Amino acid sequence: MSSSLSHPPAHLPPSVALQLSQQAPVTLRNTPSVISSYSLSTLWSAAETPELWTEYENLMLSCLRTGDEQSAGQCLERLTERFGAENERLMALRGLFQEAIAKDDAALKQVLGEYENILAKDPSNMPVSKRRIALLKTLGKTTEAITALNEFVDSSPTDAEAWAELADLYVTQGMYPQAIFALEEVLLITPYAWNIHARLGEILFMAGSTGDSSGDKYLAESLRRFCRSIELCDDYLRGYYGLKLATNKLLTSLPQASRQSKSDSTLPLPDLKTVERLNETATAKLSEIVRRSVSGECEGYDKGEVIAAKALLDSGATKTIR
Amino acid sequence: MTWISKSVTGLGLLFLTHACYSAHEHSALHSTTAASLSSIASHTAAVPTVASLPIDISIETIVAVFTICLGLVLGTPELRPIQWRVWAGKIEREGEKGFSSSDGTVDKDYVGNPFRVLESRPGFIDIRKQRKEFAEWVREGGGTAEAS
Repeated sequence: MSSSLSHPPAHLPPSVALQLSQQAPVTLRNTPSVISSYSLSTLWSAAETPELWTEYENLMLSCLRTGDEQSAGQCLERLTERFGAENERLMALRGLFQEAIAKDDAALKQVLGEYENILAKDPSNMPVSKRRIALLKTLGKTTEAITALNEFVDSSPTDAEAWAELADLYVTQGMYPQAIFALEEVLLITPYAWNIHARLGEILFMAGSTGDSSGDKYLAESLRRFCRSIELCDDYLRGYYGLKLATNKLLTSLPQASRQSKSDSTLPLPDLKTVERLNETATAKLSEIVRRSVSGECEGYDKGEVIAAKALLDSGATKTIR
Repeated sequence: MTWISKSVTGLGLLFLTHACYSAHEHSALHSTTAASLSSIASHTAAVPTVASLPIDISIETIVAVFTICLGLVLGTPELRPIQWRVWAGKIEREGEKGFSSSDGTVDKDYVGNPFRVLESRPGFIDIRKQRKEFAEWVREGGGTAEAS
């Protein structure tokens, strides 16, 4: 339980979030509310750890998600007592709290106004500017959010999180080339992130499936990205799933493409034979992963992902039978 | 596996204790005999013979040390993967299970996929959407299905 409290809770399944927030009153009672660094009591009470405050923050997020505003408010209060109201991160957290309890769009706009006031005073307040962008997205002003995010990455180009967010925003707008560029920036900062390689492969695959002339280029590139993600991570279900999809698609489109002239200077399209072999490998690996996770040998995989992989394998099997 | 390593280490410690005790006894015995000898005939033994341990005690000590080493080595936990892809694959394949010790607690420094934050992005979290999704999950009976 404490292990899941020490990491950001956004990806947790709802049941875990519910469990965490149900235990919040107990957790709050058991943890010290105020730790002062200049009193005699520090001699015998437990030492202050950085993890404690991370846990408060994550607990607050879980409580807000499940609607337990009282506990969330308590967490926020304790954090404020410790770090002061002028702390940048706490400003963002307080804004998040107000966003969560806002009744309607007018209240949200008021929060947005507060963010803008804070940013007018101190434009370098990173957490608050991130919150402002997130709130713009919540309000449905995606284009404004993209503009703001572009300014943000201009001033802080090594923030991988912002680049990844920008890529997702571009994808929602269907602007694939821009999204691909943003994700490539993420990969410049974290070159070994196997999930980002897979994500880039997915976006390239989506771009390749739109059906314009450069579709095969995108598909080939996506194939390479999926291969890289598998290279970085053994038995990566998402990577093999994408590899299978990309090779399936390439196998249908490559025979026509090979007749066209290859005049451009970019990387050549992969061999038909290579693609076939990759497809076979992906099928074999996927079926092995599905078999092993159904039999309960490995439990790390997401259940939904395994079901999707199984469905993909089944559809491929029926196609070959026909 | 643990009981093997523990018993081997225990056996080695026993040998070591025995060897130490023997050495102590030997030296005590040697000094008393030497002292009594010298008091009887102090002039004949001008240079006292250097007390050397019998070979069996030395051998026992060395064997004991090696046995203890063997026991400790046998008892080490499984080594962590040092290759990136093996380590990453282990995270994906086994999740928390693969990084917990034998009594079920997850290692303190286990963070799962460290790059997952790039996809969950806590800085840009959309709390209203999360609340809506959670409310929907509750309405669909997710809580009761989980509890039953």
